[in-house]
Amino acid sequence: MDRINKAKLILWTILGIAGAVAITRFIFGLGVTTNLTDNTPWGFWIGFDVMGGVALAGGGFVIAAFNYIFGKKILHPIARAAILTAFLGYVAVAIGLLFDLGLPWNIWHMIIYWNPHSPLFEVGWCVMLYLTVLTLEFTPVVLEKYPNIKLLSIIHGFLYKIRIPLVILGIMLSTLHQSSLGSLFLAMPYRLHPLWYSPIIPVIFFFSAICLGFMMVMVESMTSSYLYRKEQEIHILGKIKKYASYMLIFYLFVRFADIIIRGAGSFLFSFSWGMSLFWIEILLSCIIPLIIFSMPIKKIKISILYFGAFIGVVGVVFNRLNVGGITHLNNLTEIGSFYFPSLMEFSISAGVVSAAMLIFFYFVENFKVWEESPFDNLVINKASKFNSFKVYLGSNPIVNRTKFSFSFIFAFGLTFALISGGEIHSSGFDKSPVTKARGADTLLIDGNRDGYGVVFAHVNHQKLGYTCGYCHHINKPDDKATGCYECHDDMYLIGDAFRHDWHSSSSGANLDCFKCHNKSVSKGMNFKFSNKKATHICQNCHNKIIPLDSRIKILKTYKSLSYTDAMHSLCINCHEQKLHTDSLLKQIKPNLAQCSKCHKNFSVFKKDKKLFQGKKENKWVVVP
Amino acid sequence: MEELLNFAKGPLFRFSFAIMILGLIRLFVLSLINGLEAKKKARDKSIPKGYVRKMTFGFLFPLRAFRVKPIYAFVSILFHIGLLFTPIFLFDHALLFQNSIKISLINLSLSKQVADWMTITTIITGILLFIIRISSQTSRFISRKQDYLLPLLLLIPFISGLVCAQLTVEPDVYNAFILIHILSGCLIFILMPFTKIAHCILLPLSQWITARAWKFPSEAGENVVIDLGKEGETL
Repeated sequence: MDRINKAKLILWTILGIAGAVAITRFIFGLGVTTNLTDNTPWGFWIGFDVMGGVALAGGGFVIAAFNYIFGKKILHPIARAAILTAFLGYVAVAIGLLFDLGLPWNIWHMIIYWNPHSPLFEVGWCVMLYLTVLTLEFTPVVLEKYPNIKLLSIIHGFLYKIRIPLVILGIMLSTLHQSSLGSLFLAMPYRLHPLWYSPIIPVIFFFSAICLGFMMVMVESMTSSYLYRKEQEIHILGKIKKYASYMLIFYLFVRFADIIIRGAGSFLFSFSWGMSLFWIEILLSCIIPLIIFSMPIKKIKISILYFGAFIGVVGVVFNRLNVGGITHLNNLTEIGSFYFPSLMEFSISAGVVSAAMLIFFYFVENFKVWEESPFDNLVINKASKFNSFKVYLGSNPIVNRTKFSFSFIFAFGLTFALISGGEIHSSGFDKSPVTKARGADTLLIDGNRDGYGVVFAHVNHQKLGYTCGYCHHINKPDDKATGCYECHDDMYLIGDAFRHDWHSSSSGANLDCFKCHNKSVSKGMNFKFSNKKATHICQNCHNKIIPLDSRIKILKTYKSLSYTDAMHSLCINCHEQKLHTDSLLKQIKPNLAQCSKCHKNFSVFKKDKKLFQGKKENKWVVVP
Repeated sequence: MEELLNFAKGPLFRFSFAIMILGLIRLFVLSLINGLEAKKKARDKSIPKGYVRKMTFGFLFPLRAFRVKPIYAFVSILFHIGLLFTPIFLFDHALLFQNSIKISLINLSLSKQVADWMTITTIITGILLFIIRISSQTSRFISRKQDYLLPLLLLIPFISGLVCAQLTVEPDVYNAFILIHILSGCLIFILMPFTKIAHCILLPLSQWITARAWKFPSEAGENVVIDLGKEGETL
C-alpha cells in the first residue's frame, strides 16, 4: 500500500494547490490567473485540458471497439478500466472548460440556443452526449455492487442488455467528436502554422486519437500495476503494442503525405521555431514510441516500454497544444504578444488531472473495475513495533485520511498565501479618460476618440422643449449646464465627482473637517452609524447644484457612473419612458429606444474621421 | 520593520487564516467520519444518548458548574466571552473585514469603551484561570505543558492589541506591538486545529466521540496485542 499512498499524498497536495487557484480564478477572473490576452484567447487550458483531455480519453472508445465490435476478447480485462478512464477524462474536460469559459454559468446555452453552423456547437453536443453514454456504460459497474436493492438490479439488467448499442453509440460519438475538435481549426487557416493547418486536420486528429488511445491504455495499465504492486499484464500489453505501432506508422504516413501534397514540405527544413516544434512533436509522438514498440515484448524491460508509451502520450498531447495555441501565428511571429502559460494555469490543469486520478483510484478500490481486487496481492502491513513516543494515528484508513486531508489543507493554505494580493488588486481596467463631445448644434459623442461614437442632435432636443437642467442634472458651483465629461470622466470606470483634497486643503476651500463630518466621528470611533449621519451631503453648502427641473433629483452618492453607463442610462431611460407615455410617438418612431437608433453608421462624419480621431490608435487586431 | 509587518499582514496572515478555517472543518469532518466508522465496527451500537446530550449542553451552558465551582465557572465564562466576541466585533477588525472580504460587521461592532473593558476583562480572567490551574493539585496532575502555555499565548494578542488601541502611542512602539499582535494571532490561528483550542469546533462532538470510543469492536483486544508486539504471549 506504500506506493499508492505516496502517490495519493502527492495528488492531494496538488489538489490543494489547485483549489486555492480555482477560488482565485472564479472570484477575480481570468485576467488575474492566466496569461491569456485578446490576441491569444485560447491557451493551455484549451490545448491541454480540453483538446488533450479528449484525446487522452480516446482509450475508451478504441478499447471498446476492439473488445466488443472486433471481437478481440483478449482486451476484455482492461475494458472497464479504459471506459472509466474515458469517463473521467471527459468529466475533466467539462470541468476544465468551466475554468476557461469567461461566463461559465452560461454553459447550458448550447442546449437551447442552437447554432448548427458552428463546430463548437457540435463539439459541445458530442461532449455532452458522449459523457452521457459513458456514464451509462460505466453505471453497471457501480450498480452490481448492490445486488440486493431491487430497483438498482433492474436498472443494471437493462443497461447490461443495451450495452452493445451503447458501445456503438459511444464509438460513433467519439469518432465525430475527436475529429470535430480538428474541424474547429479549419476556420483559422491564417492563424495556424502551415505544418499543422491542413484541410484534413479532422482526419489527422482522429488517427492520432486512436494512437493515443492505445498508448494511454498501456500507460494506465502499467501505472496501476506499479502502484498496486500487481503483476504486469504482459500479454495484453504485447497486443496493444502491436496495434499501436501499426497505427503510429499509418499516422506518420498520413501526416507527412498531407504536408507534402499540400506543398508545405519546404517548411520541414526551413529553420524556424515552428519547424523545431514540429520535429520535437514527431519525435515524441511517433519516432521514439515506434522504436521502442518495434522490440519484442519479452526482451525489453517494462520500464522502457513504459517510457515509450508515456513519451508517445506526451507527444500527442503536445500536438494538441501546438494546434491549440502554441503554433498560432501570433506566437511564432512578432505580430502578437508571446503567450506562455502562467503558473496558475499549470496548477489548475494539474489539479484537474489529480482529481480525476484520485477518483479513478477510488473506483478501482471500491468497485469491481479489474478482474481481481487491488487488495488481493498486497501484503498487509503489520503495524510497526509499538512506540510510545510516536503519535498513534490509528489503523490504515484513518492514517490515510488524516495525512491526505492535512496535505490538502496545507497546500491550499500555502498557495492561498502566496497568490499575491497586490497582483489581484492591481489588475483591472486601464483608465480611459473621456474627452468633451464635439460640435455645436449637433454633437459627436465619442468619449475615448476611437472613431465609433453617437451623433446627438442637441439643438433638436432643446427645440422639443427640454430645459438644460433636465439632462445636465448637476451643475458645478457657479456653472450652468456642466458638461457630462466633467464628472463622468472615465469611459468604463466609476469616477469620483467630489474633490475631497481640494475641499480640505489650505490652498483650496480650506474647510475645517467638521464643516462636513460630524464631530463625533473623531478618530473614526463612531463611524459605524452609516455614512449619512457621519457626513453632510453636498446640498447643505451648494444648495443650487441640482437644477429644479432636473430629471435626476436625488444625489445619493459622490461616485459618478462611467461615461458609457451615464449616457446609456440617461438616454435609454428617457426614450423608453417617452415611448410608454406618448402613443403618437410610438407610431412614428417605434425604434426610439433601440441600439441602432443612436449607434448608426454615420457617413456624415466619416470623411472627418481623422479630425475626430486623437492619437489613440485603432484597437482592432490585424491578422496577416 | 515595515517589510516584516507587510509580510505578517499579507501572506502569513492569509496562510494562517486558511489553515485555521480549513483545519477546523477538516477536524470536524474527520471526527464525524471516524466516529461513524467506529459505530459501524462496534458490536454494541447503543450509546447513552441522554447523557451525551446533557453533557454537551452542560458544557455549552454551564449552569451546573455554577453550583459546583462558582468562581471558576464565572471566570471561565467571562474569559470565553471576551475571547470570542472582542476580536470578532472590534471596530478596527470590522473595518479590516470590510476592506478585505466585503463582509460588513461595522453596524454590529462594539464601541471603543466596551471593547477596551472586554479586553481588560479577558486578560484578567485569563491570568486568573492560569492561577486557578496551578493552585489546584488535581488540575496540576492532569495538565500537560500545552495546557499552561496556550492560555498565556492567547493573552498576547489581547495585551498587544490593547497597547495599540491607545491613541497616544508613538509610531515605532505601535509598529512593534502590532507586529507582536499579528504574529501571535497568526500563531494561534495555525495552532487552533492542532491543539486543544480545537474544542471550539469539536465541542458538539466531543461527548459523542467519547461515548463512542468506549464501544470497542469485538476483535479490539487482539489488535491491541498485535500493536504491542506481544503476539502469542499469555496475558
